[in-house]
Amino acid sequence: MLTINNLVKHRGTVEILSGISFKARPGRVTGFLGPNGAGKSSTLRILLGLDRATSGSALINGKPFAELHNPLTTIGAALDGFGAHRMRTGRAHLRWIAHAAGLSRSRVEEVLEIVGLTNAADKRVGNYSLGMGRRLGIAAALLGDPKILVLDEPVNGLDPEGIRWIRTFLRERAESGNTVLLSSHLMGELAETVDDVVIIKHGRIVADGTLEEVIGTHSTLEEAFFALTSESAGGVV
Amino acid sequence: MRAFKAELSKLFSLPGIWLAFLIGAFAPAVIAALDSIAEKEEIIAGVSTRLSEIGYIGLGLGVQGVIILGVLAVSSEYLTESSESGGGRQITTSLTVVSSRLRFLLAKAGAVTVISLLLCMVAILTTVSATHLILGEYTPAFEASRLIGAVCYWTLTALLAFGITVLTKNSMIPLTVLLINSSLVSFSVLLSKVTKLAFYLPDRAGLELFMFTNDRFHPPFTGGLILFGWVVVFFIAAAIVFHRRDVAS
Repeated sequence: MLTINNLVKHRGTVEILSGISFKARPGRVTGFLGPNGAGKSSTLRILLGLDRATSGSALINGKPFAELHNPLTTIGAALDGFGAHRMRTGRAHLRWIAHAAGLSRSRVEEVLEIVGLTNAADKRVGNYSLGMGRRLGIAAALLGDPKILVLDEPVNGLDPEGIRWIRTFLRERAESGNTVLLSSHLMGELAETVDDVVIIKHGRIVADGTLEEVIGTHSTLEEAFFALTSESAGGVV
Repeated sequence: MRAFKAELSKLFSLPGIWLAFLIGAFAPAVIAALDSIAEKEEIIAGVSTRLSEIGYIGLGLGVQGVIILGVLAVSSEYLTESSESGGGRQITTSLTVVSSRLRFLLAKAGAVTVISLLLCMVAILTTVSATHLILGEYTPAFEASRLIGAVCYWTLTALLAFGITVLTKNSMIPLTVLLINSSLVSFSVLLSKVTKLAFYLPDRAGLELFMFTNDRFHPPFTGGLILFGWVVVFFIAAAIVFHRRDVAS
């Protein structure tokens, strides 16, 4: 369970997040949607202890990230890019992470298998395609077999096959009782993947509910999204 | 301990670090050998004025290997990926794996320390062997206390490079300043012609640990202590900044 409570973030004089609150529940895929620059990544970075909140809290099973003993076994995250040094091989990248979490080398081979990177594991990350890099990021997030997954823009720039793979993969994770939170600005790709939807705009939550609730009277999630995030829209669903 | 192992694993799997190993392990021996060849006749004639520097000069310059190590250990975390791949950085992964920033920093500093120690020991072995090879029975004795001084100098210099890079986040400034300073033009040596305060700069003071030159200012222990003081100051500053800094900034 992820609980974001009244989160405020200032950077310089700019208010990036203006008191946002929402939850991501076990067994469900929660889509965190909003236009570029709405505050999605900032929220996820605060949740993962990478950035500091000005006020409010972002809790993982009731605890802030910094209090997790071995975070990789609780929460796995794939944020911007591949999160790996380009000169290292994919396998070497996963191995140092496994060392940090006290996991075995065989677990590295397992996650390489899960994401389908076994054959590319000895290539340098700098030579990976975008899809392979994303898979590597997801492999790293899966190493500790965490109950919670957080993915920032996982389908961004992927080819249809990659998108389909991620979609199927996330559905399976949620159906086996895990919590999945993913951010995106691509509506079409997400409508078939998410159970719950949180929409953010200019650092404020403008919609929060199940997919059906948020779509409401609109024909698609995309329609609802544009209706809620266009400049004239306001209020919370 | 797990974070420390992870940092070792990171360093050993980075190709740039092997360059640091090569420079650190063999450059001192090459320099010491060349210096011994140049001084050989005067040493045999018993008129060399630089007898106390033979061999050590290589160790003084070979510190560049651990400077590269200290800088790369940090700057590799902040190297930004290409924009097509999303512009990520390894530091994001590192800090989502180890939840305490202080533990992360200490683990990294620990890995740099251990590798610097070992690398300097290898350098001593190659340097002493190279000097013996050239000078044979005329080789001046290598005193244990001075060799220990050299190990301290290397390790503390690596940590200094480490601390500075945590503050700058990229490798350009610390690498340029520290490498030029320890090879081509030593700012502190130039400055020491003007003011005695220059003897309190980290590199100049640190060299007193084992370079027994004619213009020395501090006894070895004091020199080492001054360098250690600089390392502590930079490390504390680095820890405070690193603890407070948003990764996104």
